[in-house]
Amino acid sequence: MLPARIDFQALKARFTAMAATPRPGREPLFPTAIPSVDALLGGGIPCGSVLILEGCGSAGCRSIAAALLAQATCRGLGAVIDGGELYPPSLEAAGVRLDRLLIVPATTPVGMARAADLLLRSRTTRVVVMLAVALRAAVWARLAGLVRKSGAVLVVLASRTIAELCAVATVCLSCRIERSVMHGTRGLWSVFSGFELQAELRKHKFRNSLAPSVVMGVSNVRLCPSF
Amino acid sequence: MFVCVRASDLSSDAVWQEILDAFDAVTPLIEDVRRGVALLDMQGAQGDFNAWSSRIRSMLARYAFSASIGAGPNRFCAFAAAHGDGALIEAGSEAATLAPMPLDVLELDSDVVERLHLLGVTTLGALAALPHGPFVRRFGPPAARWHDAARGIDRSPFTPRGHAISIEAAMLGEGSAQSEAAVIFALRVLIGRICSDLARCGKRASALHVDIELEDADTARVEVQLAAATSQERAMLDVVRGKLEGASFAAPICGLRVQALGLEEGGEPVPLLAGDEIDRASVAVVLARLEAMLGEPVRRARTRAAHPLEERFTYEPFTLMNLADRPKAERYRFGEAESKLVPQLRLLAVTEIDVRLRRGEPAMVGERAVRQCAGPWRIEEGWFATPVARDEYDVQLDTGEICRIYRQGDRWYLRGSYD
Repeated sequence: MLPARIDFQALKARFTAMAATPRPGREPLFPTAIPSVDALLGGGIPCGSVLILEGCGSAGCRSIAAALLAQATCRGLGAVIDGGELYPPSLEAAGVRLDRLLIVPATTPVGMARAADLLLRSRTTRVVVMLAVALRAAVWARLAGLVRKSGAVLVVLASRTIAELCAVATVCLSCRIERSVMHGTRGLWSVFSGFELQAELRKHKFRNSLAPSVVMGVSNVRLCPSF
Repeated sequence: MFVCVRASDLSSDAVWQEILDAFDAVTPLIEDVRRGVALLDMQGAQGDFNAWSSRIRSMLARYAFSASIGAGPNRFCAFAAAHGDGALIEAGSEAATLAPMPLDVLELDSDVVERLHLLGVTTLGALAALPHGPFVRRFGPPAARWHDAARGIDRSPFTPRGHAISIEAAMLGEGSAQSEAAVIFALRVLIGRICSDLARCGKRASALHVDIELEDADTARVEVQLAAATSQERAMLDVVRGKLEGASFAAPICGLRVQALGLEEGGEPVPLLAGDEIDRASVAVVLARLEAMLGEPVRRARTRAAHPLEERFTYEPFTLMNLADRPKAERYRFGEAESKLVPQLRLLAVTEIDVRLRRGEPAMVGERAVRQCAGPWRIEEGWFATPVARDEYDVQLDTGEICRIYRQGDRWYLRGSYD
């Protein structure tokens, strides 16, 4: 074998070994304070990352996003770029301090992107939640760059896989509801009391081996009218 | 020497404040004793009592009401002298001049006056003749002040009123600006002037008014609310810039005026360890920029008690004025408290849906079978206005989706879904 070839093989082996070694403490972590999710992510979400919560329909993505917002508003400010679907009483029930939550009313994809851009540039919010809207790959890349610089966490709620978004994401969690839990028999005395949520780690930029999925219980607060 | 002005038939506080402002031309030291009574400290002022008196009278002639003017070596003597119009009590002759004056000058309660009359005391001279100790013991501690006043002694301090400070800077008639950069440059200059004025007065401003004059004679006002009262040029300029980002004008700008409002005393609190706290100045800038971009303010939600889902919360503009700091007890618990996973309701646009019933319960929603159903919860509201009566259900469909639906009259609607 030629010496150059040997050197190349050695270099390749060295890089492979480096890649296989986990890099603990590379980024400070933002704990979700949900034990099963933190365990799945290796302690929390790396600060300065784009987190995709992927799931169609009732998947439990917003429940995890609300938990992140609760942690963010406990210490500073959080922001939601809202297209009109937000239900603040549910957020409050999840522990979000509404007085520290900026609700940005943006409805168009460009407006949402610009709002996220401004929020991330200002470095005032620790968590920004937005919907996965139709944006060019360059826009997602720019937002990811801003997230990295600001040290915040950009949570993107996606109902389907978006290749451009996945390419720039640091962590991608796929969520789905395993089963819903109703207390009581059918009818008036029955109450929707929560669901079991399965989260699967699809992508983690800083971890080589992905952990298996976890199942966690999501319990409802009383949303039915009080009698 | 003090001059007392007693005005009668005053129509309003506003008029009185206007008169006090006008007295600034006579002396800068003015005490607003109460509505209609002012004391002017004339120490060091040129002229004599007659000159001051005629000047004050000519000033008051504009307001068309009667006023009596008196002067004395202390506050009480001046006040007493104003009872007789045009009186002057010279230093050294206070007791003698006050002696024939009635007790009304002291503005005592009627029962005290009655008691003094029973003792045969009807003038200040008679009051001054009473022995000090027994008189005070009989009438209480305030009597010491009355006795002193009757003898022409008043040691109470003169308290001049504060002056309203107006801090503004303007740039008018110095050409016109068509580019954003030129306007921002001009604003930077004006805000710099304002900040140096604020620093000179030891004040901070909590709001700014930016008046913009256009070449077509149109004007616009931009009201800028600062996150916290400040005298920092950078913090002000950032917020003003954010506010102006979304603005467009029909003609070139030919004049700018910036006025500082909401002036507050003191310095600016700066946290020593600010890592985890909210940077209010940055938040104010981003709020201004988002508002300029979206055309509406960033909102804050507030929950309230109500039966219909859509009425259980309201939105209000997000301001930093009512942003509470985290209680100290909570400060170092970040990440320690376990988060609660709670299903989040997505409010969808209300749409009519086709629901088929089986034994009175939803069995099919559109083409989807209902796997589980909870409800109905009856909501009846607005009996005094348009009545609302509806039955709400939580249903899980065979797709796994959990929805909130309701029936109103004969129609079914989709309200939201859990996520």
